[in-house]
Amino acid sequence: MIDFVKFSLRNGLRILVHEDRSTPLSALNLLYGVGSRDEDPEMTGIAHLLEHLMFCGTENVPVFDRPLQMAGGENNAFTNNDITNYYLTVPADNIETGFWLESDRMNGINFSRDALDVQKKVVIEEFKQRYLNQPYGDSQLLLRPLAYTTHHYKWPTIGKSISHIESIEPEHARDFFYRHYAPGNAILTVSGNISPDRVFKLADKWFGPLEKRTTRPQVIPAEPFQTEERNLIVERDVPVDALYKAWHICGRKEDDFFTFDLLSDLLAGGESGRLHSKLVRDKNLFSDINAYISSDIDPGLLVIHGKLMKGVTITEAEENVRMVVDELKSGIISDEEMEKVKNRFESSHVISNTSILNKAMNISYYELLGNPGLINLEVERYRAVSREMVRDAAIKYLNNNNSSTLHYLSKNRN
Amino acid sequence: MSAEKMTAPSINPINPGSLAPVKSIVLGNGIPVHIIEGGTEDVMRIEFILRAGTVMENIPLQASSTNMMLTEGSEKYSSEEIKALLDGYGVFYQLSAERDSAGLIIYLLNRHAEKAIELIAEILFNSMFPEKEFVIMMKKRLRRFMISREKVQTLASEKFFETIFGNNHPYGKMVSENDFEALNTDHLKNFYASYYTPANLSVIVSGKINENIQEIMDKYLGSKLPGTPLQAGNESDFQKCPQKRIHVPKKGALQSAIRIGSATINKRHPDYPGLKVLNTILGGYFGSRLMKNIREEKGYTYGIRSVAASLNLSGYKIISAEVDNQSVREAIAEIYREISKLQKEPVAYDELELVRNYMAGEMVRMFDGPFSMAESFRAIWEFNLEADYYRKLAHTVRTITPDELLHLANKYYNIDELYEIVAG
Repeated sequence: MIDFVKFSLRNGLRILVHEDRSTPLSALNLLYGVGSRDEDPEMTGIAHLLEHLMFCGTENVPVFDRPLQMAGGENNAFTNNDITNYYLTVPADNIETGFWLESDRMNGINFSRDALDVQKKVVIEEFKQRYLNQPYGDSQLLLRPLAYTTHHYKWPTIGKSISHIESIEPEHARDFFYRHYAPGNAILTVSGNISPDRVFKLADKWFGPLEKRTTRPQVIPAEPFQTEERNLIVERDVPVDALYKAWHICGRKEDDFFTFDLLSDLLAGGESGRLHSKLVRDKNLFSDINAYISSDIDPGLLVIHGKLMKGVTITEAEENVRMVVDELKSGIISDEEMEKVKNRFESSHVISNTSILNKAMNISYYELLGNPGLINLEVERYRAVSREMVRDAAIKYLNNNNSSTLHYLSKNRN
Repeated sequence: MSAEKMTAPSINPINPGSLAPVKSIVLGNGIPVHIIEGGTEDVMRIEFILRAGTVMENIPLQASSTNMMLTEGSEKYSSEEIKALLDGYGVFYQLSAERDSAGLIIYLLNRHAEKAIELIAEILFNSMFPEKEFVIMMKKRLRRFMISREKVQTLASEKFFETIFGNNHPYGKMVSENDFEALNTDHLKNFYASYYTPANLSVIVSGKINENIQEIMDKYLGSKLPGTPLQAGNESDFQKCPQKRIHVPKKGALQSAIRIGSATINKRHPDYPGLKVLNTILGGYFGSRLMKNIREEKGYTYGIRSVAASLNLSGYKIISAEVDNQSVREAIAEIYREISKLQKEPVAYDELELVRNYMAGEMVRMFDGPFSMAESFRAIWEFNLEADYYRKLAHTVRTITPDELLHLANKYYNIDELYEIVAG
């Protein structure tokens, strides 16, 4: 049981506290309800670039990392489709430095051209390092716009292209910040060796004086129902053919989400997963194959991707993947198999929650979904999934006319 | 009151903490088990360590393939059954073969402990190396190898270790496509028979320890015949490459991977804690000189870091970054500039204070919770060092002077002795 208390400030900031006295540290997690989904389709990548700018100092704190490092702390952040999440850990009696730094940059940051220009270069190098200069790195840049025609999940968080990042000006960054960064659009969770009372006092002292700012979220167009299968074939300078296949599934808040999470584990959880045991071990068609769900808040994707063995055609590989997926629609799943994926979920849940930082992140995220208490109900919800629910979800969603397929072929195949 | 007017909170001195007491027991056949108790959840992490790393191998891929085949079939179970059982108990496992050691780490809920340990004992000591699974695994590995050859990071790192340790030593030997053909199951069976023995195994258990852990371990691991004691590994010498600057071409690469460094002292040397501090200043944290200069001022890279690492027979230091092709020369020049600055100008008080606090905070994190504690324990245990190592490290972090750092920079960062690899 992960206990927490919750309160709010008048400016709208929500604060949650989980006390864990078994550690000398405290973790502070600050989630902003803004991600790449909130971007203008003509200026993608700005949410993530802004995350970089948040580390470039303010009027009061010229070098963001310095005071925190001085306090023995460490911090980082990530941006995804839905959220931008900042986090730090620090010896518990220096936690106030974290409150100071986070409240200071929530108040406002440095939008200078110099800082922005350097961070644009850094992000462009990140773009190259992760997406362009890696074998198969651009598959995400290809698969998303194939699967989504309309919803903003159609571009990756790093941005659609380098030219979008290049075009961002200081005033765009400033506008995006004031449009989305505000106490009322943030969730602060503090965990570790600290009492709720002290968190309340510190939150009131540092975040209390911040003005309530109105955010201006845009309405994100829903993805229309897909009625025809989509295919894309590309050739690249890679040594081995690869297959990517995606299906639209439900959103994070729907009941089917848990079913899909287990379903993806039936397919690819560990080496006993169906895809691995049938297509890697028995039939020797793939060298690696994996499946995951995107876990986005709005309806996301189930993605299967694998690298082909020598001599295997992409058609043969794809047919076999489809067969394994179709088998789920029969609902024939042994008790052992259901028990296995539930045990795996329970283990990963418990192990992940041995860390105060993970607990703080999870609590913030569940609060964003509408109920932080979900963190304690998860195991139960997964346990409640039946083989019939897996069957029904597979029948409802995992059809060809709801799928997008990318054949990522080697130019000099072998 | 507005937020701008508030003064920064004061900072309390950081107590780096220390390694928790480790309870060491010995199983019936002599296997040492080190136990670190702690945590709030009913979870354990168990690490099985064998002196069966690449340093022991006679031919390339022998150590790693033996390790990877552990889950591919044993006397009692097929490959399929082993994986179904591990996954069925919700055990997360990670096989690994490093340079000096090999083995596996498992994370598990305590209620599955007995069954999981029984299974691990089976694969550690009764593996069969079936031909069919071996062929599939080697095919998979070859495919992965070919993909990794497309990454400038891999190309640069491999060449780096080859140049600093030499192609004759397992620390520096590069794997080639032919090595995948040459290996057979007899190589693995021989390696397994020599090195996967109770006499060559140590166990580290951490977490909220199951009360009858000793009984369970004794029943399944302690009952095996101990086997012959450890045989000596490959004793060949390091042969440094005479050429200091090497370019590994990679057609069409958009970025180049830079690796600069050399072999150096390891954890057993009294200068090592000081070298750690120096390395942190240079490139060991986000506020480091290399990060500030090459990322935050110039934007040449997404990240640059410098590491001082320890192996059993040597240590090494390495600076690594992936940079824009156009900025390679400038980035390298800046790296050398930062090194020579450390050799000429004493580190300023403010910066040193910052690094002292940052590193003390790192130590708090190293000792936070049973799993981190287990990793920190292993990091000294495998060098036959005592917990005293961390006291010395903490002392050095607190007291090292700018003059001492200047001296270390000149002693260990002689630019003429550094190797410079660029792939791209």
